[in-house]
Amino acid sequence: MEAKPGALERKKSGADLLVEHSRNPRHKHEEDVPEDADVAMPGGSPECGGSVVIYLKGDADGNVEWLSWTGQGDTISMGATSIVIERILNEGLSMQEILELDYEEFVDSLGREVIGSRTRHATLGLSTIKGAVRQYQRAGRSGGRAAV
Amino acid sequence: MTEQEIQQKGYANPDALVSTQWVAEHLGDTDNVRIVESDEDVLLYDIGHIPNSVKVDWVEDLNDPLMRDYLDPEHFANLMAELGISPETTVIFYGDKNNWWATYALWVFGLFGHDNVKVMDGGRVKWEAEGREMTQEVPSFARTDYPVPQRDDSRIRAFKEDVDRHLEARGQMVDVRSPGEYRGELLHMPDYPQEGALRGGHIPGAANVPWARAVREDATFKSADELKEIYEGEVGLSQGDDVIAYCRIGERSSHTWFVLKYLLGYEGVRNYDGSWTEWGNLVRAPIER
Repeated sequence: MEAKPGALERKKSGADLLVEHSRNPRHKHEEDVPEDADVAMPGGSPECGGSVVIYLKGDADGNVEWLSWTGQGDTISMGATSIVIERILNEGLSMQEILELDYEEFVDSLGREVIGSRTRHATLGLSTIKGAVRQYQRAGRSGGRAAV
Repeated sequence: MTEQEIQQKGYANPDALVSTQWVAEHLGDTDNVRIVESDEDVLLYDIGHIPNSVKVDWVEDLNDPLMRDYLDPEHFANLMAELGISPETTVIFYGDKNNWWATYALWVFGLFGHDNVKVMDGGRVKWEAEGREMTQEVPSFARTDYPVPQRDDSRIRAFKEDVDRHLEARGQMVDVRSPGEYRGELLHMPDYPQEGALRGGHIPGAANVPWARAVREDATFKSADELKEIYEGEVGLSQGDDVIAYCRIGERSSHTWFVLKYLLGYEGVRNYDGSWTEWGNLVRAPIER
């Protein structure tokens, strides 16, 4: 039960980042959602941690043109969704690179001390983004719009 | 809301609730009272909490880390000691989501016979809405010498075998999940099939009363008459009944358990924490849709 000072500090900074993102979410729609997304992918459960809808638009080359989301839930699930979307867009990740993002590494980056056993909450956004990419790729192969 | 207003709501055990005002007046009574926050949103306590309150995390603190069960008596005694709680301490629970997790923590305390427990009516939402003091300061209390208790699950917890017997006896059951889960339309959360069930539906004969119907918009509990209208008028329960409540993992149903046991005075109500994640995966378990 006793944490070392270093662990406590890491926990506080990890918690601070999640709290800041959950209070000021990036790329999140509070009211109107985009109608021109190629994919609208729901994920999670409002009864358990939270739920999100990921909106994905691909460009002519099959890369991410834009990515946004809406959702409701706890601080970890909402904060982590905002964080991962900001990272994907800032780093200009391709769809394949998104699919290759590692859940464990993402949780490590948020801080194991703060996430604890709530890894499902922490990866809700990322897993739903991956689901959106897979849906986009499937629809691309069949030539149809992929909103679900 | 005051204690008088809680009294006026006509509960069988009005002492099971305290008002936000009562808590505000007892913040300094740390020798006798321990305020415990238990939330679904595990970071809420870090964002801000009632002064002198401690946090109990239903996952990290109350569950066995390996087996699907609650903590053992030794770990419970140690948790109480660390939180500065003695067997005589009055524990006041509050939390987010209409006190959903507060009642769950209270129920787990009940397994160990720590029955000097109450819930702050309205929970965290009401405390915040009233603009009452919040702090990020984590209090530290002197470690107590909490004796290792006997854990008695039989009083308030139902296992699968109990549900089997209850089913044979055509006992009353309340499924407190959402109507979609009750009807078997939802098996699991998208992308998380490992946390769902292989079959959807409900235990035969169970009535569906979503847990949050027991609270008002301000997160306080409905009056006894309003609750009776739901559980007795709609479902047909009566005070002498043996009742089993269940949901997905037993957390939402602990809220209904609290309502039936404390607010309506049902002595024979148990929480089936195995719930749908157990029943919906059992081979040949009878299911209705």
